[in-house]
Amino acid sequence: MAAAVGNPGYPQGHSGIWAWMTTVDHKKIAALYGVTAFIFFMLGGLQALLVRTQLATPNGTVIDADLYNQLFTTHALTMIFLAIMPLTVSFFNYFIPLQIGARDVAFPRLNALSYWIFVAGGVMLTGSFFLGGAPDGGWFGYAPLSAEQFSPGRNMDFYVVSLLVLGVSSLLGSLNFAVTIINMRAPGMSMMRLPVFIWMTLVVAFLLILSLPVLTVGLIQLYFDRNFGTNFFTPDTGGDPILWQHIFWIFGHPEVYVLILPSMGIVSEVLPVMSRKPLFGYAAIVFAGAAIGVLGFGVWSHHMFTTGLGTVPQVVFSASTMAIGIPTGIKIFNWLGTMYGGNIRFTTAMYFAVSFIALFSIGGISGVMHASPPVDAQHQDSYFVVAHLHYVLFGGAIMGIFAGIFYWFPKITGRFLDETLGKISFWVMFIGMNATFFPMHFLGVSGMPRRIYTYQEGMGWETWNMVATIGAYGIAFGVLLFVINFFMTMRKLATAPPDPWGGATLEWATTSPPPEHNFDVIPEVRDRDPLWYNRDHNIAAPERPEHMHIHLPPPSYYPLIVASGMALLGVGLLAHLAVSVFGALVMIYGTWGWALEPTE
Amino acid sequence: MEHQAAAGHHEEHPPTTIKQYVMIGVLLTLITLVELWLSYSGLAHALMISLLLILSGVKFVIVVAMFMHLRFDSPLFRRLFTFGFLLAASIMVALLALFWNDHTDIVGGLPEGAESTQGESH
Amino acid sequence: MAAATHEVEHHTSTGVDNRKLLMWIFLASECLFFGTLISTYLIFRGQSLVGPLPDDVLDIPLTSLSTFVLLMSSLSMVLAVYGAQHGRLGLMKGMLLATILLGLVFLGFQVYEFRHFGHLGLNLTTNQFGASFFVLTGFHGVHVGVGVLYLISLLIGAGRRNGIGRERALWVDSAGLYWHFVDIVWIVIFTIIYLIPQ
Repeated sequence: MAAAVGNPGYPQGHSGIWAWMTTVDHKKIAALYGVTAFIFFMLGGLQALLVRTQLATPNGTVIDADLYNQLFTTHALTMIFLAIMPLTVSFFNYFIPLQIGARDVAFPRLNALSYWIFVAGGVMLTGSFFLGGAPDGGWFGYAPLSAEQFSPGRNMDFYVVSLLVLGVSSLLGSLNFAVTIINMRAPGMSMMRLPVFIWMTLVVAFLLILSLPVLTVGLIQLYFDRNFGTNFFTPDTGGDPILWQHIFWIFGHPEVYVLILPSMGIVSEVLPVMSRKPLFGYAAIVFAGAAIGVLGFGVWSHHMFTTGLGTVPQVVFSASTMAIGIPTGIKIFNWLGTMYGGNIRFTTAMYFAVSFIALFSIGGISGVMHASPPVDAQHQDSYFVVAHLHYVLFGGAIMGIFAGIFYWFPKITGRFLDETLGKISFWVMFIGMNATFFPMHFLGVSGMPRRIYTYQEGMGWETWNMVATIGAYGIAFGVLLFVINFFMTMRKLATAPPDPWGGATLEWATTSPPPEHNFDVIPEVRDRDPLWYNRDHNIAAPERPEHMHIHLPPPSYYPLIVASGMALLGVGLLAHLAVSVFGALVMIYGTWGWALEPTE
Repeated sequence: MEHQAAAGHHEEHPPTTIKQYVMIGVLLTLITLVELWLSYSGLAHALMISLLLILSGVKFVIVVAMFMHLRFDSPLFRRLFTFGFLLAASIMVALLALFWNDHTDIVGGLPEGAESTQGESH
Repeated sequence: MAAATHEVEHHTSTGVDNRKLLMWIFLASECLFFGTLISTYLIFRGQSLVGPLPDDVLDIPLTSLSTFVLLMSSLSMVLAVYGAQHGRLGLMKGMLLATILLGLVFLGFQVYEFRHFGHLGLNLTTNQFGASFFVLTGFHGVHVGVGVLYLISLLIGAGRRNGIGRERALWVDSAGLYWHFVDIVWIVIFTIIYLIPQ
């Protein structure tokens, strides 16, 4: 079914549930990713609220230690793998083709497959609560705590299997994005004309492509340790728990940049448009992003300073960690320089983008503090680290994502989110966020360890814990306001013009929302800010052709089949290997059908 | 050297002929035989290990350059693959250096002959 | 207008095929996968608390034979690619079949080796050598197995429609890249596990 798009009035059909399940349209897949990830985001928030409620007062009795362990572990896993990553993937999906001037990603069916495997992994991870207990050994799953001896239940097997499944999804998605960005650019869109968001996406894709296999190996080894009696990470039989830490952080540190770089990209899109001024120092910001990506592979052991690495490794990893602060600092000054002297519009997107710079800087600076081993030895496993990472991930990643949501919402839906309500939700979230996480610096310095499920009174931790808990409810209220805003907006009429903000990049050259084929005529790119260039040089938009025969890939149900095979394979690893074999057969069947399916 | 390239085929083929491919296969086999001989030769370990690593490196490069025709293909592929390979190699070297110089997990003191570099009690 | 959109669909920014690009990036990723497995093996060298140790079980001449088999499968694979690129379908099909068979023979050697080691008292749980050896070579074997399935699908596709369309060469080419990569991984494994003495 080659969707030949005829004359005006793009067919808005394809809306039944089956159409959504078989879609290979990058915009629909982006919507699926976005909605699913936001649901997981709220779920992860709920888990955090339970944790904060338990810690509000000394000797809390809201939840017991066992459930507490499950909640803080799944909070981290949910936020990282099921909320922030897929939310950014939603933006990647929607805007890579639109910003580089393509009709779709390079492999539309692979894109659908990534989404369905992600759903399988997310359901598996969350479902573990109802199937004997969720993972409870921390998102880092340190051996030997994650080994069978200390985690005899199925909890950590759920951890291993769902991360393996989610890893496949991320790998396939990243391969697809990398090929799309390298190979599907519109005429004239050279690499150094790519929007910064696309550059950051490319770096993220390569970070995932090159770090996920390391985690995969570690998880396989952990699975073998737990289920087949090997001793990779069990110390008393010759194994080495430190090896797990190395393997985990060789993946885990690039993963940190996977979470933050997309938001850096989003902010680099929002700031120039809202300041009506080109990005300051484009090349510097691109190279800084690439440098962060490369250096990100050489700093992993700073998570392990207290394991007794020895002097030389400590010096080396300390130096490389401090070095990575340089490209990060460059970016901060690029953003400030972009706003300087600009004609700034204070929209909600701009609020979120500016707060990103401030909050991310706080988290970044406390991060550089940890780069020094003696300081790190004091901070290790204290609430100071919790404060640091939440400033980077909430103040950084999430604020950036909200900036992107407010900025691109008219493009995606044709509707403007309510600005007043948006600003209220921003201030509630901003204040709540600082009330939650800033006191954690104090708690950490006064010695409160991470991951304890309760504490005695008289330690001097009561006040700040109470403040943090109130702040957490503030964040939740802010997110709730956003959700209300979303539903109110979706009831309004779609009135957004193609380019409501006066944007510079190609996605603003097409209608809001874009037609299924994105562009009537593939745009020609003459500058880094193509729309501004065309505006300043009076280059008119290309005329709409009379007849368009644009070949779009037909919908396919094979991604769904392969993904269900993958899900069965995962379930089998938890239940019975026969199920895995069946799942593998389903995958083979699906792949063959996929390969032989006509796409012309 | 028959070129029956179908009309409309604008892909560039690697210029290697069947005969050359077979010769490469023979060469790879010969190198493997030399390696086999080396591992039984009783040479000094350091020398033997370096020779073995060099020879398998040569085999690796031959297969990548000729069989995967990276030599004749887009430089983009070469850069991407080399980057991944070098990254993997560097991480391996770093990991092995971290573990092989690790004296902290030796139970019951250092083995005889191992120099005690961890001088905490000056 | 049709011409303009067609240009976008059939030509890429860099001029290289999307599938080959995907495959090369994937292989870069696989370098890290096997790099980590090999690192684990090397880190656990000499860390086994009980035997059997590598010197007790490894049969170097036998494995040299299976290494030779895998090398020859690379040769037949490259000839299949040659056949596809030069429109010689008979050569392509024959060589694909040969590659599949050689791959299966290699897997047969591996099954024999694993069982033999089991009889000698070495399995996954025996010691660090057993765990890291079986997981490393086992996952290499899984890659060979996936490669065999990949090639079988190509062969069936070639038979079903008298060739797999005009993009035949690219399909076989990409499969070849995967197959050769699995071969070079074995070149490294063979040297590190078998040839270098303990």
